[in-house]
Amino acid sequence: MTTSGANSLAAPHPEANGFGVRSAGVTSPEVHTSGNSTLADSGALYDRLIVERARTPQYAGRLEQADAQGEGKNPLCGDKTRVELQMMDTHISQIRHQTRGCAICLAAADLMAERVTGLTVLQARDMSHRFSAMLVGDSGSAPDAHTETSALGPLEAFAPLRAHRARHRCAELPWVALKEALSHVDV
Amino acid sequence: MTEAATREKSRQDLDVAAIRQQFPILSQTVHDRPLVFLDSAASAQKPDAVIDAMTHTMRGQYANIHRGLHWMSERTTEAYEAVRDQVAHFLNAPSRDEIIFTRNSTEAINLVAHSFGALLKPGQAVVISEMEHHANLIPWQMLRDRAGIELRVAPITEAGDIDLDALQGLLADGKVALVAVTHMSNVLGTVTPAKRIAEIAHAAGAQVLFDGSQFVVHRKTDVQALGADFYTFTGHKLYGPTGIGVLWARKALLEAMPPFLGGGDMISTVTFEKSTWANVPHKFEAGTPAIIETIGLGAAISWVEAIGFEAIAAHEAALTAHALTRLADVPGLKVIGQPKERGGVISFTMDDVHPHDIATLLDRNGVAVRAGHHCAEPLMRRLGLSATARASFGVYTLPEEIDTLVDTLVRIRNFFV
Ligand SMILES: Cc1ncc(COP(=O)(O)O)c(C=O)c1O
Repeated sequence: MTTSGANSLAAPHPEANGFGVRSAGVTSPEVHTSGNSTLADSGALYDRLIVERARTPQYAGRLEQADAQGEGKNPLCGDKTRVELQMMDTHISQIRHQTRGCAICLAAADLMAERVTGLTVLQARDMSHRFSAMLVGDSGSAPDAHTETSALGPLEAFAPLRAHRARHRCAELPWVALKEALSHVDV
Repeated sequence: MTEAATREKSRQDLDVAAIRQQFPILSQTVHDRPLVFLDSAASAQKPDAVIDAMTHTMRGQYANIHRGLHWMSERTTEAYEAVRDQVAHFLNAPSRDEIIFTRNSTEAINLVAHSFGALLKPGQAVVISEMEHHANLIPWQMLRDRAGIELRVAPITEAGDIDLDALQGLLADGKVALVAVTHMSNVLGTVTPAKRIAEIAHAAGAQVLFDGSQFVVHRKTDVQALGADFYTFTGHKLYGPTGIGVLWARKALLEAMPPFLGGGDMISTVTFEKSTWANVPHKFEAGTPAIIETIGLGAAISWVEAIGFEAIAAHEAALTAHALTRLADVPGLKVIGQPKERGGVISFTMDDVHPHDIATLLDRNGVAVRAGHHCAEPLMRRLGLSATARASFGVYTLPEEIDTLVDTLVRIRNFFV
């Protein structure tokens, strides 16, 4: 998919900073502070949520007593993420990640952790499929896409990645690690 | 005239605006912004001269070569073989028979690893450097595993130059048959002291191969003055088409080496029991070659030579100096490597911003750079990095484009930090 013309993912708004994020401050560095990047338009690749989570992740770190762990590596860029899970019965009660990578990869790990906390193994796997489906552009087709356990929620921030196939691996890497971790969980 | 004045003059002699007119693609927009193409080290754009030569061939003068007795075949063979003369002149090779057309640099190096490699005995060694492209690493690893030779790696210094003392040390036991190193690094921009390396190799009884994929684009290459035994380059980085590369090697070596691929064109006589090989260079050119691309390469070489390497080198030196000065002002930006001599390639990292994010955000602003390990994973490991962003310059690059790069980098930094 190319990005030109009518596609709103492509053309930055005239007032946008050219990153697909509207932010008056960014175009004039002397008045810019990190706080004034306003919310992204729908075409923004770097949604504010993504930038914030990349900068200050909320689920980074390790668990004292992990029940399962998994790793994802991208040999093309050296990005790496490690996911640890703690289970309560069939539910993921806690999840932490250690990620070295780009903003997309970091934020994907953090928002994945947020989203799958509390889900069952099956629900988490389903979420992983939904996330991949969204990246290739068939999100929302499933009839139950908006129920509480299946809605993508904050993960929708990655929808603009559809137009950037080369970056899909960055967002999928944490899910590779999660998948491996889930394969070690006995349910 | 002082050196600086000479440089300034030849920079002015290079009419970049006129050159840009000859590259149709440079007037494209990307994400509604003018394309700022700073990825020529990966592959350069093509001038009209190359595009026209190739379409002219396909439209009016094309047939298979070396086999037809008809007019079209003879004319096409002449055009194809004329490029061999051109390449010989381009590299200052002693003989046209020493020019072998390959698909690219990668295939040229594989040819040497296969056919020169067949002459090596277990216990002998090949030396490469820490800053090789995978194209000049993997074929030697494969040879090592196949033939039981040893692969040695010459370290680089902190600045990004080959450590010549260490290289000399690696050659001391006399087991090294070949030193295969880059003539210019695609990551650090380092121009290696090829002549000195050839002397060191020869003093220890080794042959020397230079991977000239990057170098030939930027400076005049003279394989005789360098004292090279093998030299490779690839057409698409030299403003030519993809699918065509060159191996030059001394004739005595080529004659001693067994063929690489077998098939049509590379034989002298064939029976089911036994076949004999054609003379060099044809022994190494099995099958129908990339006829159209070879003719395109010829056009590219003519085009580059018409501009002249003095003007090209001066233009790129001025651009590189400008870029290094301006990049120094970007907060948190670190240029990787300070080699003694650098071509128009600059790798960098920025604190707190991953090279992939840099590349994607630059792209949103129409600026094309490369990000990743640049097919040099061991070098990245040596540098303690997983990836860098890389800007590289060509004859068509404008100082204003470097300004756009730098201004955008400042905004990217403000966006993330
Ligand atoms: C230094 C160097 N060597 C070898 C190559 C391989 O060139 P090609 O892919 O055309 O064979 C490249 C370019 O990618 C390069 O920069």
